[in-house]
Amino acid sequence: MTQHRPRLRSGHWTLTVAKIAVVFAAGWWFAGSSATSTRAAPVPVDGQRLYTTGCSSCHGVDGKGIVNDNGDVRGVDLTNAGAALVYFQVSTGRMPLGDSNGPPVRKPTVYDDDQIAAIVEYVAAFGDGPALPTVDIAGADLAQGGVLYRESCQACHSASGAGGALSYGRSAPALDKSEPLQVASAVRAGPGQMPVFGPESIDQASLNDLVKYVEYLRDPDDPGGAPIGRTGPVPEGFVALTLGIGALLAAVAWIGTRSPIRGIRTARATAGSANDESRASGDTHA
Amino acid sequence: MPDDATHDDAHDPAIDTTPEALPNALPDATPDGVVGAHRPISDAPPPPDPARAARAESRATAWFIVSAIASIALAIVYWRGGQAQAEGALLAVICFGIGFAAITWAKHAMPNDEVAEDRHSVASTEEEFDAFTTDLVEGAEHVGRRRLLMVSMASAVAAFGAALLFPLRSLGPRPGKNLKHTAYQGGGKRVVTADGQPVKAADLLADSVVTVWPEGHTNDGDSPTLLIRTRPDLNFKPRAGREDWTVDGIVAYSKLCTHVGCPVGLYQADSALLLCPCHQSTFDVLDGARPIFGPAARSLPQLPLAVNDAGEIIAVDDFDSPVGPGYWDRGR
Amino acid sequence: MSKTRRPLPVPPKSTPLMRRTARWLDRRLGAADFARAALNKVFPDHWSFMIGELALYCFVVLILTGTYLGFFFDASTATTVYHGSYEALQGVRMSSAYKSVLDISFEVRAGLVMRQVHHWAALLFLASMVVHLARVFFTGAFRRPREINWMIGVTMLILGMINGFLGYSLIDDQLSGTGLRIMYGVVLSVPLVGTWIASLLFGGEFPGEDLIGRFYVLHILIVPVVIGMLLAAHLFIVIRHKHTQFSGPGRKEDNVVGERMWPTYASKALGLFFLTAGVLCLLGGLFQINPIWLFGPFDPAQVSAASQPDWYMGWLDGALRIMPGYEIRAWGFEIPNPFFPGAGLGGITFLLLYAWPFIEAKATGDHREHHILDRPRQRPLRTALGVATLTFYLLLFSGAASDIIASTFHLSVNRVLVSLRVLVITVPIVTGFIAYRLCKELAARSGLSIAPTLRERRAASNEANEADADADVADASVGAGVS
Repeated sequence: MTQHRPRLRSGHWTLTVAKIAVVFAAGWWFAGSSATSTRAAPVPVDGQRLYTTGCSSCHGVDGKGIVNDNGDVRGVDLTNAGAALVYFQVSTGRMPLGDSNGPPVRKPTVYDDDQIAAIVEYVAAFGDGPALPTVDIAGADLAQGGVLYRESCQACHSASGAGGALSYGRSAPALDKSEPLQVASAVRAGPGQMPVFGPESIDQASLNDLVKYVEYLRDPDDPGGAPIGRTGPVPEGFVALTLGIGALLAAVAWIGTRSPIRGIRTARATAGSANDESRASGDTHA
Repeated sequence: MPDDATHDDAHDPAIDTTPEALPNALPDATPDGVVGAHRPISDAPPPPDPARAARAESRATAWFIVSAIASIALAIVYWRGGQAQAEGALLAVICFGIGFAAITWAKHAMPNDEVAEDRHSVASTEEEFDAFTTDLVEGAEHVGRRRLLMVSMASAVAAFGAALLFPLRSLGPRPGKNLKHTAYQGGGKRVVTADGQPVKAADLLADSVVTVWPEGHTNDGDSPTLLIRTRPDLNFKPRAGREDWTVDGIVAYSKLCTHVGCPVGLYQADSALLLCPCHQSTFDVLDGARPIFGPAARSLPQLPLAVNDAGEIIAVDDFDSPVGPGYWDRGR
Repeated sequence: MSKTRRPLPVPPKSTPLMRRTARWLDRRLGAADFARAALNKVFPDHWSFMIGELALYCFVVLILTGTYLGFFFDASTATTVYHGSYEALQGVRMSSAYKSVLDISFEVRAGLVMRQVHHWAALLFLASMVVHLARVFFTGAFRRPREINWMIGVTMLILGMINGFLGYSLIDDQLSGTGLRIMYGVVLSVPLVGTWIASLLFGGEFPGEDLIGRFYVLHILIVPVVIGMLLAAHLFIVIRHKHTQFSGPGRKEDNVVGERMWPTYASKALGLFFLTAGVLCLLGGLFQINPIWLFGPFDPAQVSAASQPDWYMGWLDGALRIMPGYEIRAWGFEIPNPFFPGAGLGGITFLLLYAWPFIEAKATGDHREHHILDRPRQRPLRTALGVATLTFYLLLFSGAASDIIASTFHLSVNRVLVSLRVLVITVPIVTGFIAYRLCKELAARSGLSIAPTLRERRAASNEANEADADADVADASVGAGVS
């Protein structure tokens, strides 16, 4: 099964909230399960077994990571990875890695919700890391979230959440597929190149606001027509220089195509005819 | 053949763009000497093909009607509250309607004969030019003989021009010291976040970054500062002479790029690099924010840090060098 | 009435109103002769001659939409709190300028479409000017007697760029503030006077309080008025010179062959205005441009990924990005890095543009009047130079998209920029060479005469040395009367 949720197209805020609420319910549940594991599953999901088959080949059976003989890190040390990081990496499909050469990228996850919860619980128990955050955007302040987003996030993910390039081949992903709990986990855990934002710099209320704004950016109140990539003026300029000037040149080309020429006549009058007479002496032809 | 000498002082036979030099000239091209000589080639404008014109006229009429209908629709859309896409599309239909109609009409139902108009050299005739220069020189000589008057007039005009520059001076203060200092000058100020909160060293987790200002100056354009705590395993080493500029592994750099001053907002925690999103200058946080890629040619200025008794981070002094983009006498 | 002579067509009696109005005006202005000449002004018929008109019509649309926006815009940096209908900025502190643009976008009925049409019109105003400039360049329409008009055109291009930049800087959103910051850095980098100019322009250190008000006056008054006056001069000179034309049957240096202004060409021009306005309205209505509500109010400590300027400034931004990190420092003085790709490249670009007609005349030794246009293939060297130059600036523009290119095609932004450092030098040479060969080939195939090479021309001009010397002396007095 896939964790992808179709992008909200409807402008109905209530519907959005309802859908988000469902997602939160799941989020709450993960938070609870990683801490207490009180849920009675019909078929118990074995986190250790999943970890051993899916993760240990790179991260080691004990989670301490594996370094190849040539010194390359095969899998990082997960001792203090924490639930937030594991949840982010596994639920977004970044882990297990598809292409071991490139940086992890979002793809359909191979696990269902129960399995993810089990892996998160198992790996989080290795050591001490950021716990799976809680997030509740129902009462959060959207505009305040926007302020926080512009302070801390837009430099990499861009004002519209379209993502952007980092140096040396890395990139900040677009946020249009990010679920609220994934966003909150990333803020707390700082996966990959992303810095960590602890509770001292972004407290729980601010986290709720921020996640609400990121959720909003997936389907913003966006008048003005088709967004052109939402990556700034260069794509707009590209449209102007192709579509725009193309249409205008097509117009002049159409106007400039004459009906059949029917011969050449002299002007009925030439401008400033009186002056011409005095000056035109040299222009009369032999 | 036209007499070249009368037209063109230096006709160059090497470039011949006259029609007879062109193989694609129509065989029945009008003979020289007819065109441009006020002699009609054909008498009346050839009437447009009536059937074609009639078809074009009905097309144009249809376009005009489409345009009018779109205008009415636009009024309705506007009256009912407006909608940007509908307004734009309807405005476009209105304009396209009139445009297509006018052009269709012009192309197929208006006289479309070609006419030739004489063109004369832009320059005046020799007599006209001589007359003008004579007057000009005569007048100038008359003026020029009054040497003292001329000199005093020139001085007055020059002085007036200079006087006009003085009001310009009101536009801005003298650039000078203010470019070289920030509100950190003097030292001892706490660093605070955008909402004015002081920062404790313990608040900053590994791999995290926060933007701070000197206390009371959170709106200053020149003093945003990045507080960064790198991960312990990245082995941050301060530059020689700056060993005591950090607090507990927290280092502070100016957020303004030394290239053209964009905020260097991207901290890549995993590789401890700062990247400017404007022009991709990249700075190595582990090595005194030295530029390692891109157009920036100077390290980001570093802020010497300490903690006060309350455990809050303070700036000991101003940045080690002027922040932001360079200018010609920055080092003086 | 003799049909063959048609000395003067008799005005039709069926339009008494038109005739009465004309009579009223003529008795006060006596303009009938002049007006009749204007009605019969001849427009040579080639699609490429209408590109300049596109720029004119974009300018008209800019004035119309800009006036409308001016009624609602508040050029003030005073801080205010937003309480409009846009949910995601509720209660956010911002400048009055930014708030008024949000209001134009969300509260003013038809405000958003006007704003977007205005912005698209600005992009296409500059684009049409550049295409028009390219047309004039490649056909040699800048040669004597049109050098002055070429320079007026280049001035309007510069002013158009400046006004576009001023316009999107007024909004005071994050993106425009970033652009201003870059401009401040570039101005600051000019040796000796940079700090003074920056201080006087921005009213002190960046960002300053005075900026929006000052830029507003420049944007809506000074620059448009200057552009308008230059436009009038540009058109007046076109009328004075009469149009250039391509060679063809009956078309010669001493005539101009084409359609009369009235009624056919006037109708086409009117139609073209409406088609231009239609394209701009369509873009403005259906394609979002500059969604400022996503960018938020300007804060000097913030920046967003994917910050680029509008396309006509893109080549400068790209040059800033592509430039390697070198600068000159000695004895405490320095020439900062942005000076070279910023003020330096910009200055050289426009200096060369201004000087081109004179450079070419000097190089070819051809100082004669030209009214018959070159086909680009007749001038392989000029065409090659033009193609290489366009390639160079296009590559610089793509430099401004280095991060977009990197993230779109999953490349390293560093590799993109390093490649561009090489490509901006090599690719223009290649495209120029291809253009040169192509011109030779095409000219040979179509049997067109190719302009002589420099060496041939030098040889020819040495032979006719005395004649040339005479021509130089009489340079200003070349006319039909010279014999």
